[in-house]
Amino acid sequence: MSLPLEVKDLRTTLFTRRGEMKAVDGLSLSIGAGETVALVGESGCGKSLSALSIMRLLPDPPARIVGGAVRLNGRDIVPLGEEAMLDIRGKEIGMIFQDPMSALNPVATVEKQIAEVVTTHTDLGRGQARARAHELLELVGMPDAGRRLDAYPHQLSGGMCQRVVIAMAIACSPSVLIADEPTTALDVTVQAQVLALLKRLQTDSGMAMLFITHDLGVVAETADRVVVMYAGRKVEEAPVDDLFDRPLHPYTVGLIGATPIPGAERAERLADIPGMVPPLNALPKGCAFAPRCKRVMERCRHEQPALTEPVPGRLVACFAAEEG
Amino acid sequence: MARLEFLNRFARNRGALIGAGLILLVAVAALLAPVLYPTDPLRIVGAPELWPGEDPDFPLGTDSLGRDILAMIVHGARATLLIGLFASAVATLIGVTVGAIAGYFGGWVDEIAMRASELFQTIPNLIFVLTIVVILGSTLTNIVIAIGIVTWTPIARMTRAEFLALRDREFVQACRAMGMDDFRIIVGEILPNALPPVIVLSSLVVAGAILFESAVSFLGLGDPNLASWGRLVGDGRLLIRSSWYICAIPGVAIMVTVLCLNLIGDGLNDALNPKLRDR
Amino acid sequence: MASIASTGASARQRAALRLLGRRLVQAVPLLLGVVVINFCLIQLAPGSFLELMTAENQVSDPATVELLRKTYGLDDPIWMQLLKYIWALLHFDFGFSYRQNMPVIEAIGVHLPATLLLMVSSITLAMTVGVAAGVVASMKVRTFWDSLVSVAAMFFYAAPSFWLGIMLIVLFSVKLGWLPVGGMATIGGDGGMLDILHHLILPTLALGLFYAAIYTRVMRSSMLEVSQADFVRTARAKGLSRNKVTIAHVLRNALLPVVTILGVQMGTVLAGSVVIESVFSWPGIGSLLFDSVSSRNYPVVLGIMVLGSLVVIVANIAVDLIYMWLDPRIEIR
Repeated sequence: MSLPLEVKDLRTTLFTRRGEMKAVDGLSLSIGAGETVALVGESGCGKSLSALSIMRLLPDPPARIVGGAVRLNGRDIVPLGEEAMLDIRGKEIGMIFQDPMSALNPVATVEKQIAEVVTTHTDLGRGQARARAHELLELVGMPDAGRRLDAYPHQLSGGMCQRVVIAMAIACSPSVLIADEPTTALDVTVQAQVLALLKRLQTDSGMAMLFITHDLGVVAETADRVVVMYAGRKVEEAPVDDLFDRPLHPYTVGLIGATPIPGAERAERLADIPGMVPPLNALPKGCAFAPRCKRVMERCRHEQPALTEPVPGRLVACFAAEEG
Repeated sequence: MARLEFLNRFARNRGALIGAGLILLVAVAALLAPVLYPTDPLRIVGAPELWPGEDPDFPLGTDSLGRDILAMIVHGARATLLIGLFASAVATLIGVTVGAIAGYFGGWVDEIAMRASELFQTIPNLIFVLTIVVILGSTLTNIVIAIGIVTWTPIARMTRAEFLALRDREFVQACRAMGMDDFRIIVGEILPNALPPVIVLSSLVVAGAILFESAVSFLGLGDPNLASWGRLVGDGRLLIRSSWYICAIPGVAIMVTVLCLNLIGDGLNDALNPKLRDR
Repeated sequence: MASIASTGASARQRAALRLLGRRLVQAVPLLLGVVVINFCLIQLAPGSFLELMTAENQVSDPATVELLRKTYGLDDPIWMQLLKYIWALLHFDFGFSYRQNMPVIEAIGVHLPATLLLMVSSITLAMTVGVAAGVVASMKVRTFWDSLVSVAAMFFYAAPSFWLGIMLIVLFSVKLGWLPVGGMATIGGDGGMLDILHHLILPTLALGLFYAAIYTRVMRSSMLEVSQADFVRTARAKGLSRNKVTIAHVLRNALLPVVTILGVQMGTVLAGSVVIESVFSWPGIGSLLFDSVSSRNYPVVLGIMVLGSLVVIVANIAVDLIYMWLDPRIEIR
């Protein structure tokens, strides 16, 4: 049985006037049914572009997939034309984005926007689509769903808008849901509600979820497995508990060390790692993290570490980690 | 050096350069009119209704009375440009004054200014100009003032916006703390900073004034002593069946001039707001 | 965040009515302002007010002169005259036009429909062509079509409308003979709808293409801007095709700035029709104005200024209502 999502050696390059940037450089990951994989890293590490690559929604120019495969339920969607992709987006794979208030069309009602997904991918008529929209709103826990159907986005709160976005994404029961920082723009309490909602929807439908975030607190709460990205490459992968118990890559160590204990005030502490992500068109020779690494060795500056599997189920790309 | 950078950005815009170049040509022609064509262009010099190219003496042909069209075009440039410049000067004067006062003082002064600009925007502009001209007479002064009265509102709005943004800045507060009086603050401190966008708007205002003046003289209501391009088009109306070039040529002159001013305006706009450039 | 009660169609209708009410109230001081300006112009004119109103020997009968003297209070102080003038206007008494041999307001009323027809058709043309061209240019940005549209827009924006009108006549009437040279209907013809439309084509083009050029530009940049919005990404993630996203999502949002501009330009459209009517002998208030200007028929000229402003105010209200219909975010304070 094929996995809902299998990404193999995905490579996406940005072709700009300032040179070519390897935004995603050989990313591989896979997600099983009912599983949540978190993709973490600083902004600019390529996680959002990875998601857009999977959805084949890259802004072209300047971005383009230049290699690799993305298998959705066993089928490679990278070589597919746009016509074929229209059948897949919103139906087999859904995506929700960061800022819910701006993710909705301001001049169309909630009902119209949800019904649109339904009528695009199914044979339901307008009336039936409206009923389905109502159903979906209740499914995502929207209070007073009946009245809210005819509301406009500016009349809803951030949390409610995100519920609508989620309703649109799961309307056709996709096998995979990609969530790109869905709670970053929301308050803490609403955040918790939305995460709980996503978890419930996932349990009920068995869909695979790719959860992109830079917030490790959220990762601890929602993920089954974690993939850490840096400068376009995967640098570590592990089951969530193992990652927090014993992070192997120095970057991960820095991230986790920088994150306060769950339960304490939620804050982004990535700036605690000294230095900055290098510009993608001027990557250093050798390991991209070497300039900022606490455990850097001479070898790191000349050779790029490959992913190794020191322990079954765990991957890491680091010479220092290899040595223990 | 901000000004040099500004000019640099302007120069990179090909359209703007072409526009600026052509306008310079027109302006030079206008200035040199009495040198190039020292005789009165309204004198009859040849056979009537000669097409352009028929007679090498008259490259653009002659009109219904036998006057040299090229000479009239060159002289007409003066009239057209002069009126355009003066009218926009009037508009700018009124607009900047109203906008500055409204933006700086705010409150009921602002309210009145806004109502006034709304009023002048509501009255259909050409109708207003024609009414003024017919009641007060078709002199050059009246026309210039009338056009100015009708075109000041966008300048006022822009100036007001700039003043609103600038009046709470630190340097202004510092001036107030020093005890500077309002007039000096407005004219000496804020105005120089508020002017760049107004300058950008100015080339469009001149273009608008030229179109206005052309329409008024086309209708035969302009100053009878000035043969501007609009009037030339109007004079040629009766002959469109046989000699339509008499109407066409001055109109092309107007269009080219306005086009150049628009290109310059775009260039200035892009140079001033590089981030807002169209992709 | 608005309450649930303010969703739905009836809430929007109520808001529209509130807008209508407010704008009508605001119209009063505007019209008053126009009247005052009229009055000032009259006072500034060489010659007396009486001479203005009875100019060119329109009135020589002493009894009528005496009546006018009383009605306009010409022996009273200035402010009294102003009040009497306003009072007269409130009774729709704009004076009498001897040239047309009817009250001024009637003379204007007879000519107004032709101008309104021209205005409506020009605006319709401008919006349709402008929006379509802008959308096409934005969808084919940086290609040949985009450049073509932009260049065409540049020319139509710079060309004086009266000259454009004449050139159109030369091409389509004189050379090709497809369309009539002027007038609203064929003399001796049946004056039916089709005939009028036939005559309407060239004036509409001459007046409307200028505005089409403006709307093209605005629409193009508005479309490009809106295409970068987040909700467009969401729409594509739902599996909607590029074209569907453009038409169903981007267009409606991109239209808003164009509608705003339309409102601002109502006054210039009406003014522009004055010139076009002259070029095409179109029997609207522009022709009436021109005729009255030539014959020094001041009451008509002043009347046109007031009524013209009224038309602009009404048109502005209509545009505001349309904008409200398009954008549900507008809250009427």
